[in-house]
Amino acid sequence: MDRRTIAGGLMLERLLTDGLQYAAYFSEALVLGVLLVRGHRKRLAGVCLFLILFLLLDGVARFYTILRYGIQSRDYYNVYWLTDVVLTVAAFALVCGFFRRACAGNEKMWHNLRPLLGFVFLLLAAISYFMIASKFHDLYSEFITQFQQNTYFACLVLTTLLYIMMQSSAVRDEELAMLVCGMGILFAAPAAALALFKLCPQSDYVNILISNVDQLCMLGMLSTWLYAITKLPHEVTARADVPVVART
Amino acid sequence: MVMSILVLIFGLALCLFFIQRACQHILARRFNEEYFRSIANANRLEFPFVRKAVEEFDAPVDYPWIRMALKCDYLALTYLLKNAANARHRFARDEVILMAYFRTVLFVLGLLHLLRMPERRAIVKLTDILQHFADVVGERVSNVRFGELSASDYLLSL
Repeated sequence: MDRRTIAGGLMLERLLTDGLQYAAYFSEALVLGVLLVRGHRKRLAGVCLFLILFLLLDGVARFYTILRYGIQSRDYYNVYWLTDVVLTVAAFALVCGFFRRACAGNEKMWHNLRPLLGFVFLLLAAISYFMIASKFHDLYSEFITQFQQNTYFACLVLTTLLYIMMQSSAVRDEELAMLVCGMGILFAAPAAALALFKLCPQSDYVNILISNVDQLCMLGMLSTWLYAITKLPHEVTARADVPVVART
Repeated sequence: MVMSILVLIFGLALCLFFIQRACQHILARRFNEEYFRSIANANRLEFPFVRKAVEEFDAPVDYPWIRMALKCDYLALTYLLKNAANARHRFARDEVILMAYFRTVLFVLGLLHLLRMPERRAIVKLTDILQHFADVVGERVSNVRFGELSASDYLLSL
């Protein structure tokens, strides 16, 4: 391959990655703006906080680190992976918030679920602490990748359980179901991509796939959230296909 | 290694599941009226007949006719979605997601036909998507006044 072809390929890759990233930033700001303008900040406080955190860490902290230290610096790698861990934990907290909303009419179930979610959270926090503390000199390593994969997978399993629980529930919350679908998309594809990263030998193609899958899933999640917030009913209704006896 | 393979398989399967469920939630939207009937009549769309043929008659599916009819309806409806009573002349995000879903199900329908497996569910799903598109176009057209033109006259003028 001549130099012009290689340069063209690199430019295309850069355009794709940057384009998806800026589209994700724009979508995050758009969904947050819609939430605030339409007065949903109290009702969907968890979603608002998650989006604000995402914009601050992904859009501001990482961008500042690139400007200050450069994209090839060790500081950027550390900031990138640490903020990724924080965002994953925030996503876990948001899934717990969705569980709380799904159990709004069933306090007994929430009392049973709460310790279980707390235990899973403590387990993830302990694993993250030991992995980061023992490997702080080399954050960008297979240990961090393994941790991210496990956390994403734990969140994915919880999201799937939540969705199944909602489908078998006597009440119908269309907005929450769509929000949960968005979270499922955000977790499922990156979990698969990280597993692929571990299975395949290191190559530029796998790295490009992983960095773009994250942004694509983020766009998918934000699109479903925007649809849920703007077009679906916010009220919880009784499910028509559940017998009246089962609803009481 | 085994764990990574399992995560890869489950991750992919669940990703497809959640995308499919999100599309089903969009398709479950209720409209005030059955707008799709007037749109189908005005544009001579065939998906209501395809649906009726598949659901009501137990005869073998005429695959080439159904595939051609659904593809033509899809092209007509996506054109209308973009241009009929749409000031921005752009698809909404949910429409883009459903268009990708339609193409995927159409591809799956081709695979099912090749493998000689039952095709009815995929065909009904495709007609559901087209009906949703027709309902959206009908709702938009009914919300806009075009002077002396009726909704069907306006659609014919496009």
